This record gives sequence, structure tokens and C-alpha cells, in this order.
Amino acid sequence: MATLLAKRARSLVAPLTERVGAVAVRRIGLALIALASLAFPLVHRNEGNIDAAANALAFATLALGLNVVVGFAGLLDLGYAAFFAIGAYAYGIFASYQVQPEWSAFWEPLQWLGLVERLSTGTAPDHVHFTVSFWLMLPVSGLIAAFFGVLFGAPTLRLKGDYLAIVTLGFGEIVPIVARNTPSLTNGAAGLNGVATPNLFGYGFGVESTPYYYLGLALIVFLIFVSARLKTSRIGRAWMAIREDEIAAEAMGIDRIRLKLLAFGVGAAFAGMTGAFYVAKLQTATPEMFQFPVSVMLLVMIVFGGIGSISGVVLGALILQLLQSWFLQDLTQWVHAFGNLTDIAFFQQVDLVQSIELIFGVILVLMMLYRREGLIPAHRSVTALSQAEQTAVPSRGGFTGALAQRSPVDLTQPLLEIRGLSKSFGGIRAVAGLDLTVMPGRIVAVIGPNGSGKTTFFNLVTGLTKPDAGRVRFAGRDVTGLASHVIVERGIARTFQNLRLFANMTVTDNALVGTHVRTATGALGAVVRPPGVRREEAEARVRAARVLGLFGNRLLPRAAHLARTLSYANRRRLEIARALVSEPTLLLLDEPTAGMNPTETLELTDQIRSLREAGITILLIEHKLGVVNEIADHVVVLDHGEKIAEGRPEEVHRNEEVLRAYLGRKIPAAAHP
Amino acid sequence: MSFWDVLLQQVINGVSLGAMYALLALGFTMVYGIIELINFAHFNVFMVGSFIALWLLQAMGIVGQGHPLYGLPLIGVLGVAFAVTMLASGVLGVAIERLALRPLRNVPGTAAMITTIGVSYILFNVILLGAGADSKNYANPLPPLRWPIGEATLRLREVLVWGVTLALMLGLHLFVRRTKMGKAMQATAQDQEAARMMGVDVDRVVAVAFFLGSALAGAAGLIFGLYYNYTSFIIGYTAGLRAFTAAVLGGIGNIPGAMLGGLIIGLIESLGGQFLAVRWTDVIIFSILVLVLVFRPTGLLGRAAPTKS
Amino acid sequence: MLQRRMLGGWPRRLAVAALAVSAGVGLATRTGAADKVVKIGITLPLTGADAEDATLIKYGALLAIEEANAKGGVAGYKIETVIYDSGTATAGQYDPAQAATNTKKLVSDPLVVANVGPQMSGEGKAMAPILSVADLATITPSSTNPDITNPAFAGQFKPKGRAIYFRTVTTDAFQGPNMANYMAAALKIKSVYVLDDSGAYGVGIADAYQRQAEKLGIKVLGRDQLNPKEADYTTILTKIKALKPDALYYGGVAQAGVKLAKQAHDVIPDMIKAGGDGVHGGSFLKGAGFPAVDGWYATTASPHLVEDPAVADWVKRFQTRFKALPDDYAITAYDGALVILDAIKRVAESGKEINRSNVRDAMQTTKLKTLQGEVSFDQNGDMLSKVVSVFQYRHDPKYPDDDIIHQQKYEGTAPEGS
Repeated sequence: MATLLAKRARSLVAPLTERVGAVAVRRIGLALIALASLAFPLVHRNEGNIDAAANALAFATLALGLNVVVGFAGLLDLGYAAFFAIGAYAYGIFASYQVQPEWSAFWEPLQWLGLVERLSTGTAPDHVHFTVSFWLMLPVSGLIAAFFGVLFGAPTLRLKGDYLAIVTLGFGEIVPIVARNTPSLTNGAAGLNGVATPNLFGYGFGVESTPYYYLGLALIVFLIFVSARLKTSRIGRAWMAIREDEIAAEAMGIDRIRLKLLAFGVGAAFAGMTGAFYVAKLQTATPEMFQFPVSVMLLVMIVFGGIGSISGVVLGALILQLLQSWFLQDLTQWVHAFGNLTDIAFFQQVDLVQSIELIFGVILVLMMLYRREGLIPAHRSVTALSQAEQTAVPSRGGFTGALAQRSPVDLTQPLLEIRGLSKSFGGIRAVAGLDLTVMPGRIVAVIGPNGSGKTTFFNLVTGLTKPDAGRVRFAGRDVTGLASHVIVERGIARTFQNLRLFANMTVTDNALVGTHVRTATGALGAVVRPPGVRREEAEARVRAARVLGLFGNRLLPRAAHLARTLSYANRRRLEIARALVSEPTLLLLDEPTAGMNPTETLELTDQIRSLREAGITILLIEHKLGVVNEIADHVVVLDHGEKIAEGRPEEVHRNEEVLRAYLGRKIPAAAHP
Repeated sequence: MSFWDVLLQQVINGVSLGAMYALLALGFTMVYGIIELINFAHFNVFMVGSFIALWLLQAMGIVGQGHPLYGLPLIGVLGVAFAVTMLASGVLGVAIERLALRPLRNVPGTAAMITTIGVSYILFNVILLGAGADSKNYANPLPPLRWPIGEATLRLREVLVWGVTLALMLGLHLFVRRTKMGKAMQATAQDQEAARMMGVDVDRVVAVAFFLGSALAGAAGLIFGLYYNYTSFIIGYTAGLRAFTAAVLGGIGNIPGAMLGGLIIGLIESLGGQFLAVRWTDVIIFSILVLVLVFRPTGLLGRAAPTKS
Repeated sequence: MLQRRMLGGWPRRLAVAALAVSAGVGLATRTGAADKVVKIGITLPLTGADAEDATLIKYGALLAIEEANAKGGVAGYKIETVIYDSGTATAGQYDPAQAATNTKKLVSDPLVVANVGPQMSGEGKAMAPILSVADLATITPSSTNPDITNPAFAGQFKPKGRAIYFRTVTTDAFQGPNMANYMAAALKIKSVYVLDDSGAYGVGIADAYQRQAEKLGIKVLGRDQLNPKEADYTTILTKIKALKPDALYYGGVAQAGVKLAKQAHDVIPDMIKAGGDGVHGGSFLKGAGFPAVDGWYATTASPHLVEDPAVADWVKRFQTRFKALPDDYAITAYDGALVILDAIKRVAESGKEINRSNVRDAMQTTKLKTLQGEVSFDQNGDMLSKVVSVFQYRHDPKYPDDDIIHQQKYEGTAPEGS
């Protein structure tokens, strides 16, 4: 039903779009929305409805914050209302008479700054009355909530999705209980008294709805801006990579811990600011305003609107909140009238207001079953490819473009030195006492039967698994046991045997994740975008496009397509491209030609060779011995975790140990093809 | 009452509470063990089960507080009540799985769990709208027998709770270990794909798991009503969170773990209330939940859970 | 090639039907302009966890208004009600923000001259400043937090200075302490254990009770908080049993009270048990029943009304009209509506315009006989009469178990004074 409406809407707008251009239509649409929002209180003078709209804006900002945590970073937070509470009580405590410590000299400079007042009651000693300005507390509440966001998020870092949700649910329950049980700070269940309203250059907001409406509007515009900037930045891409595949994200150089904490912090900050706004408007706060049903409602709002889509979650929140506080009574009357018209008893009697929670539960279930992407999906559909773009002839001769060179490596020293590397899983020795030296500018193939420890070996070198014993030295520095993202930064990149792409990100974004480790923009830079950041982003895009272009027209025409829509071979190519974008000195390829037909295999083999010409050292796990023969300078054979042979391909093929490992019985050397 | 009498009484209280939580945790943990799904709706199936049992008892003419039954009529009434309630709850569980969860079985991530939150809300609100927000009095057919131990008291209904919980746990244990379907369930819990390839009808196994789990929830609902002599739309909420913590504490997916976890949570509730204050019980229980999930996610008895890719 | 199509077939018919319906509704809801109409608002959390009690309050107010309209209105004016729900799905219960929004809606309707509500003090705190600025008076049957009418907080809750938050129930500042006085003097207790149900009302009344008990020299052996969503209170009851206080005082409403009464009957059947108006009648009596409530003391913030035949007659009228049993707050709501109707009448009689300021002034000078007895207000909006009556439940098998008139006996007035 929703898609039908959307198609109808688009078909109405399409002729306009053709005439004026899609971007212009969007701009005009936004301008109209902005005009309508600004004019609304002046045209529609009902204070109650303006108030309802202001409340709805508050919930929309909350939904935006939850969207950062759940939609961008993929962390299901079921206790988000806790941060709303923290921001609200933070402002409430510093702008009411609730907390009144005794006066001492310590408070005098704060009094001078206007943050506190001195209360004298005649008989009792003087007390402090907090009078911190709303405008100061708005960001401060955000920061306090962000602090708790990091605090509550820290224990969840290693948990998988559903456990993470439960822990956040636990914190979400604890906060209102603590608020209720510490009446000295919060006045407990009775609620705060007399929280001060904002004061703008002498104009006190008081109980009028209109100034709060505009304040809410300003807040949401600001937070939409911040969300949008973050989404299309290095940070946003890193979050989405974590959401799609944490392991791959880490292997591409993303510091999971820092970024997850950042997501929690930013999301909590949105809620904290909203809390200050909400409480300033209401002038009171009770613990019951921040319990589990609020967190669930926010989840329903973002699921309904479209997880990950900024306009979607805002729309979802506004619709559901305005439905409850403004339209529901009218809607009930319409339904009753409809029931009278059609004489259906159910419609005549149903009270929508009573059943609104039930309706929301049904909405949640139906959306999850039938339209998980929500009202406004996070991904826009892409245009189809032309015939020329779709056909790709396998080419020989390696890469068509030039590759960027990393800093020149000392060709006389070994690039990778491995001594005594061992790893056991339970009773199984996956890798046992492995020694290996890799000289720069070589292609070294690692072969062996299934289960011989090849992928584990890769995992050990790239930091995905910590070794039990042994040392790994890369370019003269010890990298044993370092975190994956550090190792990527040092110059080792990899692809995965079972493909770990970021399925719901575009081809371009997948490649751009590769640049994460070579760029430095943080959250603040992502939002403010000074020229340095813009330059870095532009350069990163150029680099990514160049690497994608190395594969001819296989990847570039599909730059805006989601990775999961690619063919299997193209996905393999994309993984390699993604790894190349991080400008590695050493590239670990895990069965790169798996699933490719012979022609494609030859094409990729040539491409790998040209990587070596460009100065990249390659470590290659391969089952196709033809490929190994073609390009490997050096072959290492593993069996049951141990190295049983190494040398030039021809030597290894004749080695009896190797033959026995693969074929299981002694055969004369003449069997070599 | 001397200190030891108080302690004993609180231990009795705690163990009874624990048996209730354990029964509720059993069904929940079993489903998790098979399909790794945190089913929020389980605790409202428990609540619905208690209402089904209430209406059944009313239909059978068992009303009021002062008319206990003895001997054969009592066993007959209880037998019918348990059988019908468990059947109805089981069917409800299968329906939920079929309609709301099976379509999402292969969707990665937390989509299915979010859907169970929605289903939970639906059950909760249907009962609230249909039956009202006030608590409903339960009939009390149990004779008021009690046995004093020092100055502490042991009541019949406490014995009933332990008895039924142990019997059901034993039944479940035997089912899983001895029957063909039980073995199929164990196989599916270990590796769904491999079990499917060995000819196990995974859809059927999951349906049976939901049936059993929900039947246990329904039984817990009936016991709740008989024990506390009331039910209301909200009973799933708090009992649910405690039972959930019990399941996690014992080791989610582990059946004896659910019993152990339930017992521990029950004792924490009663002893914590005695020596600290009942106002902090919720905070203590949630803290335990957080600590267990962070530091020992496999729980006390659990095996290392297979990680979802 | 994209084709532009007009809405055809099915969707077109639906759109036409929708337009027709809305037009029809619009026409149908236009009132006859000829009647003189005055509106009274009712703001209560009619959905969510508080819905049951709120609905009884609504019925109480409606009964008064309907009876007035049946007699031809007040001074020739027909009384219309504007009912707003302050419960939201988001909060699951009363939502102070929604209460504020509703108040603003009331305020923007010039025909609204007064309001009945709120139920909860949390809503009241959000509503009071808005009401004050608009000079719209409200009368609450059940909000008992003293802060809202406390002159020390006047700057926060009535910035315009005039009282707009009237009550037909005394605040926690009196119910709790007066009961402590009674229990010390009449029941001669020397020690007590205090419980509350963690709600704003329960905590408030239990705090006030405890403070007074301590002042009187009664030993408070402990204070704890029940979770109303929990089922099992045997832990705390066992603890209380071991401490052996003379009495147990419970501040709170029926949700936790019913379970407490039932389980206390099991664990501490012989201890003196008492509560505030939250356990007087209504859902507490019906939910817990006999023998559980037998012997419990309850207070109401009014002179005793139980044996007054006018009240029995009123209960019958209430039951006939709404098919429900009234509780204490239905009575105070009825009285509150009577106060407003009386104020409107006096304004009309004095020849002044019937607007909200004049109605507020008239309410301030109320001296009206209601079901509770005579009602008038002090300059803060609180009831002048601070009488707290004490009742005890005693089973009378001649009457149905949930008959609030006959299942309790009036014990006397709880002494004032601190």
C-alpha cells in the first residue's frame, strides 16, 4: 500500500522533475516545508495544537538520536529513555530550587557568573539556588547525557546484538528507579517543582507555546543538520560498516571501540538536549515520564519511519506523536461517523484513544514483517544500467590504470617475519610453530588441504585472532597481537574467504571505508566541514574511484548500487578494491578467485601480477594450483597447522610430503603434471 | 521470631518465588536454546495463560475464596485446569511463531526480537482492553493446609509450586533427552543447517519448541493465579524481567540453568528485601542482569553459545 | 515512459467517500447556535494504567453536570463538557506533557469557564502555571501534593498570584499526620512500620504520616516501598512480622494495596493496619474483599458521609447511570463539579458576565453544602475544612461484600494539630 502511494506520488511529481530537475524539486519541496513550519503558529492560533506540535518536535529529535545509535551504528538500544531522563533532570536540578547546598566562599565566583544565587531565609544559614541559564544547560545537558551514553555503552562493546539490547534495557530501567529513590536530587515520585523557563534577552518564555515551538524547530533543524553531516562523512561510513559487519570493519582499519562509544555518546547527547528542552517547557519532571514504554515508542517511531533514514525517522515520530496528542480524538469521531454511515457496530463503538497502544504494537509487527525499511527507506533505488555498462569483457594484461605507490620499502630487508606462530582452539592445534619470511615485492602463495590452518594464519597476522605463542614482525616492527585496525594502519590489508562486504552500503561507500585508516576526520570535523576536511574527503573519493576504475567497467558503473546486488565475482573484486584503497604494503588475499570461471580467473591473475609490479607484496591463499604456478614467486605448504614445505612452485610440486598431504598416498614423482 | 526463624521463612519465601521464576524461565530459555531468539512475548503468554485458566475455572464453577476441594475432586480440577491451559497457551505460542516469527527466521540481526516486542505489546493491550485494568480475583480451591517449622510456616500452595515446577522440569528433561523429537531439538540447537541436512524438519522442531515453551508459560500462569489468588494484565511485566534475569543467570539455553537461576533470583529477592530494603530489589536484579551479560554471558551453567554470524 | 494517470476506479471512490464523511461529520457537529452554552473541561488520564480510577472521577463530575442540565441548565445556560485525556501510549499512563497540551487547548476555547481535574499531582504541576496565566480555575478531586498550593511555591505554580488550583480533597499535609495523631491517641500504638507504593500520592502521604509519627514519639521501625507491578509482598511482610510493630501504615492506592491486604491477612493477620483515602472504598474493597480487609482503617478528607442517607441515594443514582460502583474520588469529583456549577450560578445572579475570571472569583468565595459537607476554600485554593474522618472495615454479612456504605464503620475524626 505504501509503495503504491509512493509510486503515485512520484508519478505526479515526475513531469515536474523532468522539467526542472530532481535536485531543484527537492530544494523547492524543502523550502515549502520550511515555510509551512515557520508560518504554522502564526496561521493556526490554537495554543493547544502548537503545544502538541512542540512536543512532537521533541520526540522527533529523540528519534533522530536513537537513529544514530540504531540506524547508523546498528546498536539496538532499548533503554534510550534513560538519556532523555538524564538530560531532563540535569537541567531540572540546575534550574530549580530542588538542590540547595549550603553557601560557602566556593560559590562566590559562580554567583558572579550568574550561575547561582544566594538565598537568605533569615534564621537558617544561607543556601545556594542554582540559576544556570537554559541556553548554557542545553549543550551541557547534552554533554552530561553523552558521558552517561559512553558509560552505559562501555559494558556492551563486546556483546552481540540481542544481548546488547538487554543490557541497555537494564540501564533504561535502572535510571528512573534511581531518580525515584533519590528524592534529595529529584524530589522523587512527586516530581520537580518550578523548573525555570528559558529567558532570551529578557524575554521569558513562560507558558506560551509558540516560543517553544520555534525553539523546537531550531533544535530539530540543527540536529537534522548534524545527523546528515555525520551520515555522509567518514564517521558515518565507519558506523555503517560496523553495523553491517563488525569483523570486516575492524579489518578495514575501523576502531570499533572508539566508534561504538562515539555512537552511544552522540545519540545520548541528542536525547540529553531534548530532555533539557522538554523539562524547561513542562517546568516539572517525574520519573514516570522516562520509563520503558517511552523507549519502545521511540523504537516504533523509527521502525515505522525507516531505520537509518533521517527524513524517515522524523516523519515517523511526527506522525505517531501528533496522532496521539492531536488527531486521535478527531480520528475517533470520523471512525464513529463512518460506522454510523455504514452501520457497522464495531466502527461505531471503537475508541481509538483507548486502543492506541494496541495499534502501535500492531504497527510494529506489521512493519517488521512487511516493510522493514519503513515509510522512507534509507536507500534510494538506483537507475538501471545501460546495455554497454552491463557487458564486461574479461581483459588480459592486468590493471588498466596506475596504482598509487606506498612509501618505498627497503628491498633488502624481509617485509614479514614470522617466528614460532601458534594458535590452538580447545584441543585443536590450528597453527603450530610456523616460521616464515616474506621478502618485499614477492607473491607468496600459501597452499594446503582444507583445515590446514591457512585462514587462521591470516587471522593471526591481521590481528583478528590473538596468537598463543610466536612473533610477527612487519617492516621491522613487532605487530604481534595488535588490534586489527592498528595493523591496517601499519600497512597490511586483507580479503576474506567467505566475503565480508558491507552488504547494505553502496559500492563507493564500501571502497571509501578502505580510506578510513588513511584519513583523520573526526565527528566534529564531519559536522563542521572546514576546508581541510572537505579536501580530505574529495581526495579520498578520487582515490576510491581510481581503484574502482582499475577493474574496468565492472565496478564503476555500479558505484551507487548496494554491494549485495553485485554478482559473486564482482563482490570478490570489490573486496580486493576495498583492501587496495587502504594503500597497503602487504596484501593478504584469501582465495580471491573462488567461484570465478577460468577466463575471469586468468583476468584476476594478471591483475594480481600487476599489483606486484606496483610494489605491493602479496600473500595469497589459493586452491587453484594453476594460478599458483602462474604468479607465485614462492610457495608455502601447510598441513595440520605446520609448514611442511616451501620453495619455488616446481620444487613444491615434486615434494613427497606435499603430495602425501594432498593425495594421501605415496606416488612416484612422475605424476607431477 | 528469632533470627533463624525469620531467615528460614525468607528462604521458604525465596525458594517459592524462585520456583515461579524458574518455571517461567524454562520455556523462555528452551526457545532461545533452539533458535537463539529472545522472545519478549513469552512473558505475556504467561499472563494470557493465567487469564485463560481464570475463565476456565469460572466456567467449571470454581469461584470464590472459601470453598476448598479435597482429594480426588481437587486433583481432577487441577488436572483439567493444567491440561486445558497448557494446551491453549501452547497453541497461542505456535500461532505467534507461525504468523510473526517464521517469516523473519532468516533475517539477520535483531528484527525477530523487535517483532516479539510488538507481539508482547499486542497481547498486553488486548487483555487490558478486553478485561480491564483492575486485578481479577482467582478462585482458591486449595485447602488451607500449613505446616509450622519453628515459627516459620510452610503452606500447601508453596509445596504445589515446587511440586509442579519440578515435575514439569523433569518432564521436559526426559522429553528432550529420550524422545526422537527431543533429540531433533537438541540437534537443531547445536547446528540448524546440519540438522536440516540430516532430515530434521526444522520448522516442525521450532513449532514444537514454541508449543512446549508456551505451554510451560501457561502452566506458570495458572500456578501464579492459584498462588496469589489474583491476576491482572500487568503480571507479565515484573515477573518477566525477573524470570528473564534468572534464565540469563543460569545460562540462557540451559534447562537446569533456568532452575538454578530462578532459585538464586528468588532468594536474592527475599533475602535482599529482608536485609536491605525491597525498594532496591529491581535495581539489584537489573544490575545482576547487566553484570552477567557483560562478564559471563554464558551464565553459570551455560555452554559457549554459538555466535551468530 | 512514465504515465500520468488520474486516480481511477477504486481509489477514486474511496476518496469521494472520505470527503463525504468528513463533510457529514462537520455538519453534524455544528451545535445549534441558539442555545446559551457554557463549557466545563474535564482533564483526566483516561487511558493507560490510571484509567479505571480516572473513569470513576469522570463519571462523578458528569453526574453533577447531567443532573444540572436535566433541570434546565444553570441560569439558563446549557453546560457542555470538554473531555481531554492526559494519558498517552508513550508514557503508558498519565503524561504531564499531554496534560499541559490539553490545558492549552482548554485555554484557547473561550467558552470554557472552569475545569475538573487533574487526577495526579504530576499533571497538576504542569497544568498550574498555564491555568494561572489564563486565569482559568480547576478543581481537583484527588491531587494531594501540597506543593502546588503552597504559598512558598506561588511563584512557580501561580505566577499571576490568584489561586486557580482548588481542591475538594485535603492535601497530604493533613491526611497523613492526622491519622498519626489518631493512631497514637485512640489506638495507642507505640511503634509502626510505614510502606508506600512508590507513586507520588503514596510517597507523599506516607512521608507526611511518618514525620508526624516521629514527632509524636511513635517509633518508626522501618520504611520501605512496594512496587505496584510486583505480585509478591511476602518478603517485606515477613520482615515486618519479625519486627513486631504495633501497626502497619500504608500510603498508596489499590493497585498495590489489594495485594498487600491479601498477603498481610496471611502473614500478619492480627496487626493493626491503616491507610489513607487510597484504601477507602472502591477498588481496594472490591479487589481485596473479606476477610482480607477486615479490620483495616482508612481515612477520608471529609466529615463522615457514610451514614448520611443523601450519600446512599447518590450511590444508587451513580450505579444506575454508570453501572459502576463509585469510590471516594467519584464523590469528590461530584462535589467539585457542584462547586463549579454553583459558582456559575452566582456569577449569573450577580449580573456579571460568565467568563473564567468571574467564575474563578466566585469559586474562591464558595460556601456550598455537598456530599462531603460544607465546602469552602482558603486563599490558596485548599479546602478550609481539614477534617479527616477515620473508618474501619468491619464485615457485615447482611450486605454485599463490596458495598462501601455498609462494610465500614465510622470511627471518628482524626485529631488535628502537630
